[in-house]
Amino acid sequence: MPLLEDPARLSKSRLKSDLLAHNVALPPANSRKDVYVELHLKHIEQKDAAEFSSDEEDRGQDEAEDEVVDGDDPGGRDPSALTDDGLKAALIQHGVKVGPIVASTRAVYEKKLRKLLESGGHDEQVNGEEGNAVLYSDSEDEEGSKGAKGEGDEHSEHSQQDMSQNNNFAYPQCFILSSKLRAPASETRKPCPAKNPKNALKSSERGPCHCSRIPAGISRASSVNQRSGLGSRVPNGLQPAKSIGCSSGSSQAFSITQMVEEMESRRSVSDTESNGSDVQELRSQPSRLLTVDQPAVKNQTLFYTPEAFPVKPGPKPPVEPVNGVSKDIFPAQASPTGIYATRRRPIKGAAGRPVQYVFPDTPSSPATLERREAERRLVPIHIQILVFLIVVILLYLVYVVVEDSSLDSAMSLLDSPNQASDVEEFHAPEAPAFSEQE
Amino acid sequence: RGANKDLYITSQKHRNFVSEPMGDKPVTALSGIGEVLGERLEQQGFDKAYVVLGQFLLLRKDEELFSEWLKDTTHANVHQADSCTQCLRDWCNAFL
Repeated sequence: MPLLEDPARLSKSRLKSDLLAHNVALPPANSRKDVYVELHLKHIEQKDAAEFSSDEEDRGQDEAEDEVVDGDDPGGRDPSALTDDGLKAALIQHGVKVGPIVASTRAVYEKKLRKLLESGGHDEQVNGEEGNAVLYSDSEDEEGSKGAKGEGDEHSEHSQQDMSQNNNFAYPQCFILSSKLRAPASETRKPCPAKNPKNALKSSERGPCHCSRIPAGISRASSVNQRSGLGSRVPNGLQPAKSIGCSSGSSQAFSITQMVEEMESRRSVSDTESNGSDVQELRSQPSRLLTVDQPAVKNQTLFYTPEAFPVKPGPKPPVEPVNGVSKDIFPAQASPTGIYATRRRPIKGAAGRPVQYVFPDTPSSPATLERREAERRLVPIHIQILVFLIVVILLYLVYVVVEDSSLDSAMSLLDSPNQASDVEEFHAPEAPAFSEQE
Repeated sequence: RGANKDLYITSQKHRNFVSEPMGDKPVTALSGIGEVLGERLEQQGFDKAYVVLGQFLLLRKDEELFSEWLKDTTHANVHQADSCTQCLRDWCNAFL
């Protein structure tokens, strides 16, 4: 008999029994053979090398156990050896709905389990049913998560569109311009053509979208230019499109409360700057981002990080691809915006994201998705008001009609039985009085 | 009209069994269970149709498992087992 067998060749149950014989704590039941082998190597081989005297005894025992256990090895753990509960658990792990396991049904379930084990394959060694179950459940999880992720992506896309629609509700004049374009481009442009000073103020305060940094003085013509530039750019180069999508996507993704907080902090910081010249403001934006965004990073949710991370750009970014876009976006001021665009570039790298145009798939937190879902289902406020008015008018009409025409007849109909009963009740107590008087 | 093996639904035995509560009917009243299979079932203690129904219910009305069980215990062929299973299932749908 070989003194030192290769543990990797032993069966799992053999390993287990060896470990037990050497008082080694067993790993969890689901762990793979490798774990057992490791433990075997660690504990038993050393012991064997150290104490040779007790070795023979152990070996003898092991051999005996080995034979016994190896007997049911081929079929995996024999279902007939399982307890009722074990059988039930094993079947449940295979996704079988198990009824009560009693004398008359046990054979059926054992057969079922055996079949499942055979179809599951013998690769998984002794604890095949458990290993297989783990494998199956893993793959199912993956599929499920993929499906869920796909759905989530759809959701986020939907909700982004919804967000943009909501925003357009706030800025109706933007909606017309942007509706025909691709989502990222339209989102980027949306705040730009703001006409009245209030909107302009809002959009300039809306930090992450770098279009919003365009001073309100820029004419609509220039915004149209931007749009055409973007439109032509997006299909052409991935890089510019990506950088734009990045900023716009993140600006779309973060929640309103965060935006408000950011606005507050940014306003306090940049009040003085915003009064300066346009170019100066544009130049100051990156530094603003640097100073203001970093504290905000801490409580941002996941999807916001790409916007916040870029702020600490480690490597100097390549300038070329972004410059073209920035020229398109800011036809008048090439150099300051060039700086600004290069600030954007390292965002991806710093965030460690794969460089591809996947931004509409920004993962959003489930809470945000739910909230957007709820927002989407809400009826717009003007429709609510309209419905309310209609109901009020209807009620008033009913009231008028009833009061005018049919009120008298209805009231008489209602009143007549009451009056009759009243009269009766009124007369009833009088009768005994009369009798008493007589 | 003999026992249709391929169309259990139209078998007279099936319709007879499904048409009314089974009461104390013997196992041979089940469609698909003839003299031989009935004998084997009775040897196993399944002397009444309701005992077989009990087994069917114990298996959570799982038709596949019940067919397997029937084939194992009585050496029924696939058609007989399926016929009996169908019969019990339809009875359950009607009376449970």
